Amino acid sequence: MEHIIIIGGGGTGAALAHDLALRGFKVSLFEKGELLSGTTGRHHGLLHSGARYAVHDPTAAQECIAENSILRRIAPQALEQNDGLFVALEETDMAYRRVFVESCRACGISVRQLSAAEALGLEPALNPNLKLALQLPDATMDAWRLPLQFFATAKANGAELHSFAEVRGIHVRSGRVTGVRIFDYKKHREYDVRGDLLVNATGAWAGKICALAGIQVPVQPGPGVMVTVNARLTNMVINRLHPAGEGDIIVPQRKLSALGTSLWLANDPDGIALPRDHIRRIIGLCAQMVPAVKDTPLHSAWCAARPLLGGRKADDPQKISRTFDCYDHKERDNLEGLVSVMGGKATTLRAMAAKTADLICRKTGRDLPCRTAAQKLLHWRLFYQ
Amino acid sequence: MQTVTFRIWRFKAAQIDPPQFQDFKLSVEANMSVLEGLEKIRQEQDQTLMYRHSCHHASCGTCACKINGRERLACITPIKDLPARPITLTPLDGFASLGDLVVDMHRFYKNLSADWSYLRESDHPGPSRAPREVKPFMRFENCVECGACVSACPVTPESEKFMGPAALAALHDELEKSPAKAADLLSLAGGSRGVRWCKSALRCSQVCPTAVYPARHIAELRRRGERSTK
Ligand SMILES: Cc1cc2nc3c(=O)[nH]c(=O)nc-3n(C[C@H](O)[C@H](O)[C@H](O)COP(=O)(O)OP(=O)(O)OC[C@H]3O[C@@H](n4cnc5c(N)ncnc54)[C@H](O)[C@@H]3O)c2cc1C
Ligand code: SF4
Ligand code: FES
Repeated sequence: MEHIIIIGGGGTGAALAHDLALRGFKVSLFEKGELLSGTTGRHHGLLHSGARYAVHDPTAAQECIAENSILRRIAPQALEQNDGLFVALEETDMAYRRVFVESCRACGISVRQLSAAEALGLEPALNPNLKLALQLPDATMDAWRLPLQFFATAKANGAELHSFAEVRGIHVRSGRVTGVRIFDYKKHREYDVRGDLLVNATGAWAGKICALAGIQVPVQPGPGVMVTVNARLTNMVINRLHPAGEGDIIVPQRKLSALGTSLWLANDPDGIALPRDHIRRIIGLCAQMVPAVKDTPLHSAWCAARPLLGGRKADDPQKISRTFDCYDHKERDNLEGLVSVMGGKATTLRAMAAKTADLICRKTGRDLPCRTAAQKLLHWRLFYQ
Repeated sequence: MQTVTFRIWRFKAAQIDPPQFQDFKLSVEANMSVLEGLEKIRQEQDQTLMYRHSCHHASCGTCACKINGRERLACITPIKDLPARPITLTPLDGFASLGDLVVDMHRFYKNLSADWSYLRESDHPGPSRAPREVKPFMRFENCVECGACVSACPVTPESEKFMGPAALAALHDELEKSPAKAADLLSLAGGSRGVRWCKSALRCSQVCPTAVYPARHIAELRRRGERSTK
């Protein structure tokens, strides 16, 4: 079978390594740091129902709800499946309710309306002045353990996973990618790896990888800040019922509550400093939904960069679609042997991998179906056994 | 902004071998964590510095190391809270280094069964469970599988045979959740790799960053074991 080289050990690379190994390809993956040390391990931990995108980005919403139900089946140990609430606090939120509910239903996302009293019965920490809440199939995911289950399964199926191994160069001969130059941080040495196809799964770093091959891709790093406070204030995910904005979601996890987020556009995914003023702002906004947020000690704050598709500096970044795509650079740039996959969400990692592996099958002339939707993943603990 | 020195244990097989300490001076902001300091060094001074990190909020457990001699998670340790200078960073004890602060976690997971559930009923207070008789709210276990307790335990570096505090705590959690498995679990806890090794030094409970208190679980397993043999 063909040897497929994957660059990037985030959720997308993890799911792709699993999918390709299951289809029988020889797989080698290279990640420059610890696995999942890019954006994936650091995300907010929401298994999206898709509701957040239903009104303005129905494609992403449909992808999310489909993957939401698949991941519940194949990786239940890495999920707190407690649903989510979208809470209405103001008249403007109430006015948004109708289009929100209709859009959710159109995308196949189930919605149940709760009165303020019912919502407070489920979640007593909510703002007592809320007008109503909508219950949806959001869930909490462990941002490290869920993708690690993909890695564990990929490894058991023969994929070779190399962490602390950075791609420093891409070898091209006569318009065709033939392999990569790796710097191994563990052994402090460089070496070459030959492959039949190279997949760029580096998320917000995708532009940097393509630059190594002298081409460009339409990906823009879109960083955001997340904040945890040191108590679990709710059991369900709490969202503000309004158009996607800043500081409008609280994801409970273990004994913490994770508040998020903000969004701006950056040129370089590396070396993004945490803008500390965002912390106060996010806490203030989230406290409108759950007032106790304000009185709970700060636990930590950090930022990560979204891999946004096709964003330009001038766009309203909230409106950039969270869908994903994969590109055959033969078609885009007349460079054979390189595929890029980018965009999407941690929630849609499996679907991103399926689409990319389908493209790889077409390119290699193989007729192998995707089997990842039905395969329960191995436990992350088996990654180390 | 203030300037601090990180004194970091460096090791690369056949390169920096034997290991040695290297000092890095960096300017830090008031609330920066040790992990942010490491990121800054890697970005600005030495790209080859190796450490593990992922979640940046005490959830994945990967960033555990010894900071000024004590096991901590680098991501939730503010630099300003550390009285001693320089800030000395060494890898966890009892694990092999794969490079600098990165340790090989195989040993840790050897004793942690994939059959033991990572979910428990949520203990979040309030009347929130009342209307949901059907399905209780669930949450992840406290243990983030960081290895700090195994490093701090006086027994584990001595003997690979001891399951270690985190595994015994997880075993005890599983026992509480699945009473039907009691016989098997108790015989594992009472077996040749189990509680008999524990010297009740309590170091595990002192260093655990997420308040698992493994020593309490071990004490409880001992009580259960004694009861079942009587
Ligand atoms: C603030 C924020 C909150 C978010 N919240 C959520 C959420 O709640 N739910 C959700 O579903 N999604 C969320 N997302 C989106 C989600 O995190 C990302 O879409 C997803 O993690 C991207 O995964 P990836 O594998 O494509 O990229 P990454 O995880 O970034 O993986 C790419 C990897 O490539 C590696 N790499 C780069 N260059 C090289 C090289 N030269 N050689 C080798 N390796 C290299 C990087 O180190 C990195 O690990 C959030 C994103 C942000 C920023
Ligand atoms: S019990 Fe505590 S110290 Fe030990 S591995 Fe779990 S979280 Fe870490
Ligand atoms: S980075 Fe995840 S626990 Fe510190």
